Amino acid sequence: MWETIIVTPFTNALLFIYKLIGGNFGVAIILFTILIRLITHPLMASQIKGSTKMQEMQNSKEWQDIQKKYKDDKEKLAQEQMKYYKEIGYNPMSSCLPSVIQIPIIFGLYQSIMRALAASPLQLLILTRTVYSFFHVGDLVPLNSRFLWMNLGQPERVYMFGYGIPVLAVIVALTTYVQSKVTMPASTNPNDQSAMMGKMMAIYMPLLLGYFALTFASGLSVYFIAGNLVGIAQYALLGKVNWRALLPGAKPTQALAVRKK
Amino acid sequence: MNKKYLFLIGLLLPLALVLSGCAAGLTANAWPAMTTDTKNAYLAGGPYVYAVSLQTHAQVWRFPASSSAANPFYATPVLTPDGQLIVGGFDKKLYSINPVTGQSTWQFTGAHDRFFGGVVAVNNMIYAPNADYNLYALDLKGQLQWTFEADQSIWGAPVSDGTNIYFGTLGRKVYAVNAKTGKQVWMQVLDGAVLGSPVLGKTNALYLGTYGGTLYALNTADGKTIWSKPASTWIWSGPVSDGTNLYVGDANGKLVAYTASGGSKLWEQDLNGAIVGSPCMCGGNIVVGTEAGTVYFIDPTGKVLQTVSLAATMKVYATPASAGTLALVAPTSTASTDPVLVALDAAGTTKWSFIPPK
Repeated sequence: MWETIIVTPFTNALLFIYKLIGGNFGVAIILFTILIRLITHPLMASQIKGSTKMQEMQNSKEWQDIQKKYKDDKEKLAQEQMKYYKEIGYNPMSSCLPSVIQIPIIFGLYQSIMRALAASPLQLLILTRTVYSFFHVGDLVPLNSRFLWMNLGQPERVYMFGYGIPVLAVIVALTTYVQSKVTMPASTNPNDQSAMMGKMMAIYMPLLLGYFALTFASGLSVYFIAGNLVGIAQYALLGKVNWRALLPGAKPTQALAVRKK
Repeated sequence: MNKKYLFLIGLLLPLALVLSGCAAGLTANAWPAMTTDTKNAYLAGGPYVYAVSLQTHAQVWRFPASSSAANPFYATPVLTPDGQLIVGGFDKKLYSINPVTGQSTWQFTGAHDRFFGGVVAVNNMIYAPNADYNLYALDLKGQLQWTFEADQSIWGAPVSDGTNIYFGTLGRKVYAVNAKTGKQVWMQVLDGAVLGSPVLGKTNALYLGTYGGTLYALNTADGKTIWSKPASTWIWSGPVSDGTNLYVGDANGKLVAYTASGGSKLWEQDLNGAIVGSPCMCGGNIVVGTEAGTVYFIDPTGKVLQTVSLAATMKVYATPASAGTLALVAPTSTASTDPVLVALDAAGTTKWSFIPPK
């Protein structure tokens, strides 16, 4: 099921782009990432809209009053929160549901990239079974897995003075950090749990994805970097990027205050 | 704050596991390969190379002492004339192993990618193909003598007539390289990638199958095509020769016999699954496995003598090996408790099997 509706179509689409552009796998990964992001853009826009509304709601005096008033009665607090959601017309699922829908797409994209790279015999055998009949499998090999200085089927290192430096892993961590920071919703509420969670994610996600980039095939790193940059561009198009958050000492709250002026 | 950390861990851990799981699935990307001498079968399967006694059917040794699933062995182990067992791994290292003790005598660490193809050892030299596009020539102590850079990855084992080294690449090319100097003698472009090993014939002919679906006979002197025959689809491994005829399998399960001299088709058998490994000449018969998990014993006239169906979880990708009167088959299994080496006699009876001890 997963193979049929996600991995196989994604892999074939990736290979189709690869053939279309003349056999550059790195460019094919970047174009495919952009394509998938464009297709899922309405979901992302909906998620951003939902998160913004939630942020506004959590920053409102009414919401904070409810939190204070019913802080010792969890059941009543939940009831009042739901009542407030209805009053302002907010659906609590609107901020997380689009993300949930995107998760299988991201995993499918990752798997299809790894599948299409076919960097070893068994992978090539599996790829042969995956491609649609309009491809002549004999024409697909060799898959050009070299992109810039990388072999996309292998973890990347740049060797200097006998040491392998994981340049791509650093770029992955950096772009993930930048994306997390500049797209983090601003909050004026010091007790805003989602804002605190966002800050923690901004620290842990770059480390996690950087570790993946360090360990796994560099084709995955190209996907991470392309995804991060496209993600920033998507937020920018929607006017939700806060570049000031990158400045040393700057806080999202301060940046928001400046923007509001 | 503790709850937040727990939530974050709960979020990141599944993500890490899913991505790691996907990658781990892809790193288990090899099937076994083996060779034999009079005492042992040497099986490169998963993260270890095993020596299995042909007398006791038990493990003699395992190399290395500890390993990881991320670094399996796929290349066929090769015994050199001076008694070394040479095998390359996914860890980019080429190992010389003492076949008696299982201890490594030297390692070559100069390659940049994985070893998929077995080596060829001639003239006191070892020629090792690598996925980094290079053919490495080493002396018997593992010292690099020269490197030849091809156009693409070399997945199949080279062959040699003592003068030249012949090998194909994923770049749809086949090369002849001078064994002493490492200089290119000729290069020929084919219709598809060469994933398997070529075979040398008696009359200056080099036979090889391509992923484009063609069986070629090339002149070893200049690389010119002597004859070529289309297969029904892609050919993974090279053909096998009994000196007079060639036998080659393709992904549609067709096993075809041709005369080596002129490429005349002698017979064809439809087997029950894709043929990925080369056939093996065992006891005068052709032994070949299929992806459907069946081992066929076929006589040189094309008559099927025996079919042996292994467990439903098994696929036969590896080229069988001959051990006296027995055919050794190393199936690829999805169930970890299944045997990884099965010895069959000409009647198709399982004489013994080997499961690596935990």
